[in-house]
Amino acid sequence: MSRLANVLVVGLAMLGLAAGCNRGSSTESGAAPKVAFVMKTLNHPFFLDMQRGAEEAAGREGIQLVVQAAEREIDVEKQMQIIENLLQTGIRALIVTPSGSREIASAIAKANRGAVPVIVVDTRVDPKAAADNKLQIASFIGSDNYEGGRLAGEYLAKSTGGKARVAILEGIPGHETGDSRLRGFREALQQHPGMTIVASQPANWERDLGFTVFQNMLQAHADIDALFACSDLMALGAVEAIAAAGRSGGIRVVGFDALDDARKMIEAGRMEASVAQSPRDMGRIAVESAARLLRGQAVAAEQKVPIALVTKSGTAGSH
Amino acid sequence: MTPRLLHVQSRRQLGTFAGLIALCLILWAATPHFLTVSNLLNVLEQTAINAVVAVGMTFVIISGGIDLSVGSILALSGIALGSALQAGVPVPVAIALALAVGLACGLVNGVLVTFGRLPPFIATLGMMSVARGAALMLAEGRPISGFDDGFRMLATGRVLMLPAPAITAGLIYAVAHFVLGHTVFGRAAYAIGGNEEAARLSGVAVRYHKTAIYGVAGLMSAAAAVILTARLNSAQPTAGTMYELDAIAATVIGGTSLLGGEGTIMGALIGALIMGVLRNGLNLLDVSSFFQQVVIGVVIIGAVLVDMSLKRHRR
Amino acid sequence: MNDTTPLLQMRGICKQYPGIQALNEAALEVRAGEVHALLGENGAGKSTLMKILSGAVRRDAGDVFLNGEPVDLGDPNRARQLGISTIYQELSLVPHLTVAENIFLGKAPTRWPGVLDWPRMRREATRILSGLGVSLDPDARVRSLRLAQQQMVEVARALADEARILVMDEPTSSLSEREIAQLFGAIRRLTARGVAVVYISHRMEEVFRIGQRVTVLRDGRHVATGDIADVSVPQLVRLMANRDVSEHYPRRSHARGEELLRVEGLGSGSLRDVSFVLRRGEILGIAGLVGAGRTRLARAIAGADRIDRGRIVIRGKTIRIGSPADAARARIAFLPEDRKQQGLVLGLAVERNVALSHLRALSRFGVMDRRTERREAQQAIVDLRIRTQGPEQTVVHLSGANQQKVVLAKWLAARADIFIFDEPTRGIDVAARHDIYLLMNRLVEQGAGIMMISSDLPEVLGMSDRVLVMRAGAVQAELSAAEATEAAVLQAALGLAS
Repeated sequence: MSRLANVLVVGLAMLGLAAGCNRGSSTESGAAPKVAFVMKTLNHPFFLDMQRGAEEAAGREGIQLVVQAAEREIDVEKQMQIIENLLQTGIRALIVTPSGSREIASAIAKANRGAVPVIVVDTRVDPKAAADNKLQIASFIGSDNYEGGRLAGEYLAKSTGGKARVAILEGIPGHETGDSRLRGFREALQQHPGMTIVASQPANWERDLGFTVFQNMLQAHADIDALFACSDLMALGAVEAIAAAGRSGGIRVVGFDALDDARKMIEAGRMEASVAQSPRDMGRIAVESAARLLRGQAVAAEQKVPIALVTKSGTAGSH
Repeated sequence: MTPRLLHVQSRRQLGTFAGLIALCLILWAATPHFLTVSNLLNVLEQTAINAVVAVGMTFVIISGGIDLSVGSILALSGIALGSALQAGVPVPVAIALALAVGLACGLVNGVLVTFGRLPPFIATLGMMSVARGAALMLAEGRPISGFDDGFRMLATGRVLMLPAPAITAGLIYAVAHFVLGHTVFGRAAYAIGGNEEAARLSGVAVRYHKTAIYGVAGLMSAAAAVILTARLNSAQPTAGTMYELDAIAATVIGGTSLLGGEGTIMGALIGALIMGVLRNGLNLLDVSSFFQQVVIGVVIIGAVLVDMSLKRHRR
Repeated sequence: MNDTTPLLQMRGICKQYPGIQALNEAALEVRAGEVHALLGENGAGKSTLMKILSGAVRRDAGDVFLNGEPVDLGDPNRARQLGISTIYQELSLVPHLTVAENIFLGKAPTRWPGVLDWPRMRREATRILSGLGVSLDPDARVRSLRLAQQQMVEVARALADEARILVMDEPTSSLSEREIAQLFGAIRRLTARGVAVVYISHRMEEVFRIGQRVTVLRDGRHVATGDIADVSVPQLVRLMANRDVSEHYPRRSHARGEELLRVEGLGSGSLRDVSFVLRRGEILGIAGLVGAGRTRLARAIAGADRIDRGRIVIRGKTIRIGSPADAARARIAFLPEDRKQQGLVLGLAVERNVALSHLRALSRFGVMDRRTERREAQQAIVDLRIRTQGPEQTVVHLSGANQQKVVLAKWLAARADIFIFDEPTRGIDVAARHDIYLLMNRLVEQGAGIMMISSDLPEVLGMSDRVLVMRAGAVQAELSAAEATEAAVLQAALGLAS
């Protein structure tokens, strides 16, 4: 049994380490109110930027911020568990970027039941699910994804002279974010009869799938002139697929999110443009709103974060 | 269980159980939020889904096999359930349909393994992809959401404070414990996993029982799908991704040998609870999700190491 | 080396397992160039002692000397470096590698680091094999060889290790008479070169044929060591069992009863047109060389292998046997040669193994009647004198004879009355064999019929009422007890006209 004891000691040490690692932010130091920020994932630059903005604001506002995310972006159930668990720790406000716009409703309902105000960021809660569960959402903070999609569509139509064969890489189906971008993009193209969509397939927000899916698209439609990817990660994957096919510069690629990598690609001329959101601003505004709520001040039910199109020639705003 | 057999089996189970208690004590010391009634109920509710999937996995692993398709079958059964509910089918009928879909997928696995003579790894790997694809096709890639409150009671309901998913899981465990320890089916599972050829030559209907064992695994996935769908108020075609690994982890932490022939249902429950408590505790302690994965991996390896060293001591 | 110093001395060796003192002051002394027989009942500690010698198990106490020098046998590699090689009953060759590769496994000659010197490897392999008096193609895959040839490869591997002490555990248990002669030839060549052979066998006649000296162990203790020329079989048996074993084969004669099993024109795999009858109250011996189709016949009747042609009539009714379950329903008991692989679920308790043959009878609506299950096992333990801590003990810890009894108990509990024993006493020691023979007699007295397949000719002749001799998948001869002499059986088995 001594070996069992050994393993237990090691396990104990691990846990101690785990707890110790995060002591700085998580211990109930003084009277700083605790606010939880539950994200879709923490292995995506977009959300890391958002985290940075949130943490900067938390420092200024004197808020103790807890940031957590599930191991996998699509794991709605894990996100729900995390929220349930954090609600046990006496948080004063909950900020969440939903992994599923409908599934998140149950978790938000739990927060409502505990009288913890909820701020939703980036991905809107499905209106019907919200109504069904009588959810109370203090504020939604997000960029207008529909507008972003439209912006991308208009830009492509202009730069191709209104005549092009267009491919689309979609995100995970059923996500409000991706669906809005897609809708905006399609509706913009409808204004230009010369623009035809030859292929539209999901690549699940992932870089490697972006590569594979677009490679396959090129096999089926060698004459693609332009690509709209609902996120830069997928766009970056596609850019590599274009290079692998020896067609660099021959296909106009427009992404979404304006990640650093994407900006570099735009500088290098391998991508045309990317729709810039301001995740850092989202994070900042979310925490600032939480602070206002805690002080008993009102916040707007909907707060739009500006979007802009990043191209080689500069940044053009829409709002 | 007879006293003497309990003695042999339980010495190892006791080790796992001691691990669970130790984990709880550590968390109790580390955070004031852990040992509260509401949090413990919370853990039970969160553990229910993995625990139910682990029941099927335990049967399969005891029989010397493996089932990689449980997560995908969960998704497919969930979509079947969601579609039926949305089409206005009465709740009990929709649930029966979901269970039938899970059972059918499991039986197909079983037939491939027994009559098709495919290695379980291959057969269920194929099913993993087929069921996932079928779920995505049926749902057209989108979640099916919004069910009535009657159905949602399966997740939101409380009986004597206990969350409904925990009660469902508890009932399933009671039945599975009885089946494994007290029925011909359970005996056959152990014998097949321990020595399939000897079982066959003793007149045990190996192919029949093996097929049924995979059927049970599919059925358990479907049961988990019912709980999950009610909990999320949504059936997702991407649900259950990698749940097979969580279920395998719970099973082996609980002392079931991947070589087959030994293991217990209650071990799987303890294993699932260890994983549930660990995840909950790491959330409470605000440990980053990256480091959580490291800790969980270490616990899986540690538990099996301890188990193996205890086994060696017995020799 | 000094002539008076033994090559190997093991003194005061103790080893304790949970609940069992496996070795208690055991000792062994082996001289260079001798074949030293190590005898003892199962559980006497022979294999534990040999595991300590080969480095597989650590001793709790005691000393080991090689050429008078104390040595540490830390692990199997260390033991091998010291020149100690062991050939276990279950051979440890890699089937899909060649003869030469197996001989030089882990120590292949190389030209440059990492590049095998194939020509040299083949040359050396051929040299070692011919030194043993065998000619084998060094490029042949081991899986294509006969068991006896594979064993020679094991011996050759030990020689390539430059073994000074070679331990052989039951090396002849599945060899034919001719193959045994060949093996003994090889052993004699080894000893002529000064290699010492520790020879473990339950076959007394072999011990007397090949051995020079003998050590007897009993209950983990050293009992006696002496020259084989000075002892007799009954003396040795008495030393091993600490009691007189009345007679080697407990003969009895009974009136043969009605017909129990009739096989007509059976074809299955290599079997051709096999027909015979088994009656109540008789033991039908099945003799023949390895590969004559005896096991195939047993497996076909037991439903383990598919039957292609022919008819099986049991108790007057034609029965289709498509699976072992069908055979079990027809109350046919199959006790396979390889008990560990085919007869028992080693990880399960005695009672669970006993129940396995008749789960349906022990259950109602699929729920086991655990009280009856327990009672049956307890009764079997008393009836068959199974040495075990109780019905909950896992069978992996039982000795070979007791394991065989559990297999028998399994079928007795299923009320079988047609028993097919395949090599019933393989790996079982003399005293325990006697127990098995008595049980077989009891079965036929109670009206059962027994088919007994055995490569041990004295056993076939000593126990059978009739003998069926098989050759190349067919029945070559059917001999009555009176006709069945060693010469007659061998003649038929070899296909020589009588």
